[in-house]
Amino acid sequence: MTDMKKRPSAGSKPVVTMTPGHVTIADRRQFLIGAGMLGAAALGAGTGLGIRKARAQSRAEISFASAAFFGKETFGDLIKAFNESQDRVLVKNIELPPPSSSTEVYQGLVQQLARRNGTPDVFSQDVIWIAGFAAAGWALPLDEYFPADKRSAYFTGTLNACTYDGKLTALPWFMDSGMFYYRKDVLEKHGGKVPETWADMATVAAAAQKAGDIDFGYLWQGKQAEVLVCDAVEIITSNNSAILAPDGKSTLINQKGAVEAIQFLYDTIAKTKISPQDVLSWDEEPSRQPFTSAKAMFMRNWSYVWPIAQDGKTSQVVDKVGVAPLPAFPGGKSSACLGGYQLGVNANSKQREAAIELLTWLSSTETQRRIALNFGLAPTRPALFEDAQIKKEQPFMASLEKVFTGATARPITPAYAKVTLALQSGISKALVSGNVQAEMDALADQINKIVA
Amino acid sequence: MTAAATVTGAGRPRRLGRALPGALWALLLLAPAFVSLASVSFYPIVNGLYLSLTNTSLITQEQDFTGFANYAQLWGDAQFWNAWWHTMWFTFASTLLETVIGLGMALILFETFKGRGLVRAAMLVPWAMPTVVTSKMFGWLFNGQNGIVNYILLHAGLIDQNINWYGSADTAMTTIIIADVWKTTPFMALLLLTGLQTIPNSLIEAARMDGAKGWITFWYIRLPLLMPTLLIAGLFRALDAFRVFDLVYVLTGGGPADSTETLSTLSYKVLFSTLQFGYGSAVSTAMFITEGIIALVFVLVLVRQIRRAQ
Repeated sequence: MTDMKKRPSAGSKPVVTMTPGHVTIADRRQFLIGAGMLGAAALGAGTGLGIRKARAQSRAEISFASAAFFGKETFGDLIKAFNESQDRVLVKNIELPPPSSSTEVYQGLVQQLARRNGTPDVFSQDVIWIAGFAAAGWALPLDEYFPADKRSAYFTGTLNACTYDGKLTALPWFMDSGMFYYRKDVLEKHGGKVPETWADMATVAAAAQKAGDIDFGYLWQGKQAEVLVCDAVEIITSNNSAILAPDGKSTLINQKGAVEAIQFLYDTIAKTKISPQDVLSWDEEPSRQPFTSAKAMFMRNWSYVWPIAQDGKTSQVVDKVGVAPLPAFPGGKSSACLGGYQLGVNANSKQREAAIELLTWLSSTETQRRIALNFGLAPTRPALFEDAQIKKEQPFMASLEKVFTGATARPITPAYAKVTLALQSGISKALVSGNVQAEMDALADQINKIVA
Repeated sequence: MTAAATVTGAGRPRRLGRALPGALWALLLLAPAFVSLASVSFYPIVNGLYLSLTNTSLITQEQDFTGFANYAQLWGDAQFWNAWWHTMWFTFASTLLETVIGLGMALILFETFKGRGLVRAAMLVPWAMPTVVTSKMFGWLFNGQNGIVNYILLHAGLIDQNINWYGSADTAMTTIIIADVWKTTPFMALLLLTGLQTIPNSLIEAARMDGAKGWITFWYIRLPLLMPTLLIAGLFRALDAFRVFDLVYVLTGGGPADSTETLSTLSYKVLFSTLQFGYGSAVSTAMFITEGIIALVFVLVLVRQIRRAQ
């Protein structure tokens, strides 16, 4: 902070000694000490400071805020690399809490953006905040900078999540999605074919359960929490339906497609009994544990399960697990709930060009490859899934292209925070009581009031 | 007193002159306490009340005065009333159980026996634990698949299949109440133990001389004399139980089917997930008013008790 504030006065003085393009934030302090002493001399000399001075002076200063992810390096290192790679823009990294505290990250961002003072210039945001930030007028529409031909390099699902009211207000960065884990060894005994419809899945799971090969056929997440909305988005979309109508002003949650889908989830507990009643209180981890202790045949979960399942210390299913796109209803298409952080530019940024330069760099093929290799976060550019280095170092990630193709955004509405609370409560009620149609009707009334 | 003061005042008029700066001094010395209380206690309450009369929302960037619109909405909000009833039930059940069990513990710990000091210290361990740790611990104890509670009940033949404690709307709240009782009963026991120690032993000895047995002594001597302590401890506990947050937040998040949603978790969601500061403040104000009413009831009973004792 202090370094950055001092910068303008330093910049106007003795830039002679510095090689532009190699000043990092870490160097600055030492540089400033020297700057004070050199200042007088430089002013005295006065003449012929030349082009270098002009270029260094014009180096635009912007800030970048993101939830803190860790891997072989941090986002701070990434920003440092950007600062070193060129001499036009100098970026200050603002580190927010880790993604596990996403409510705090959200509050932090909202507070800063609501000030409308241009800080942070560039930020990363969870997919579900994009519409809200866009509707508040905090996110700069990016259409002029990223025309259709540039956009085609990204997954369609992530682009949809980044679009609000017909405008691209975020740029895809990295992603995750729901996926279908299965036990190869158990499946081998029961036909060997990965089920592509929900009904097939239920039949195979019930058969394996009856034969005593596993305790649970299918594990999912029914806890009254955000993940329940993800599970619901996937199954509802796979029945050619959606939570919100395309215009986002009304809900389809009590229509036939959605009700059938939620009914299927209820039936896994009450009718086909391929899921234990406990899924109603399980989020990701509680549902992962029985799977990696070899008690379950199928599971819906995120990509983080893979390394755990392959680690002999924590898992009894090493090399016995396969991953595929989630099943669908007959005539529907497999869908995977989209997660991950996407990039945005502050509409009040005073350094728009510099912000766009950073944005472009962060989302470039090169940087996305670096993030995939060093952070284990999957790229939003399908082409990178064919990348030789990623295939070699992250073979699992490279295999996910088919899963990510079905990536589906959660309801895109500025009132998402309210909608998700209503969905969590309403769907949980339906799953507990079994009165799916009645609960979905009540839920639809609530959501229509929120989004209308 | 007043008469005496007037007399001295009239007798020495000079002092009256000095009395004014004296009063000023007193005010001046009180000022820091007043300012700090006003800024950390009074101002937030007033500001919260004001916010509850606006439609302030960080997301929509609105901040207009809307009168009682939030309260009208609250009155018809089924989720609010659902949370209100859960909170009342939780407060009632946990306070009652903790008082009764705490009283029993206090009576035992009051008796002299070998290792009493050790037991008294050990008893406080649950209370000293962070609630989040307690929550995680009870999450595992009552785990539907691998929990020890199910294991014991199953092997004792009391149930014929595992109960899904947190996943069923019928048992989730009960389980949270059990966790709270385990954690906070020692606190009640400690308060009541100090209360027991203030009862003069001579009264109990006299009762024994008259031939009163244990039960009679408890019912006619100890309990009536313990009543004020009991009520104050109950008041503390009820107000504390009313704002239950961590247990619910960690164990169930308010589910399943909203069956464990309490006012604290609801206002957290409204305030910090949806950032509706106006409506969220109305929920908090409703909590504040309800707590005020609970406190009033306790205080009225307490005052009656004290009057009767006099």
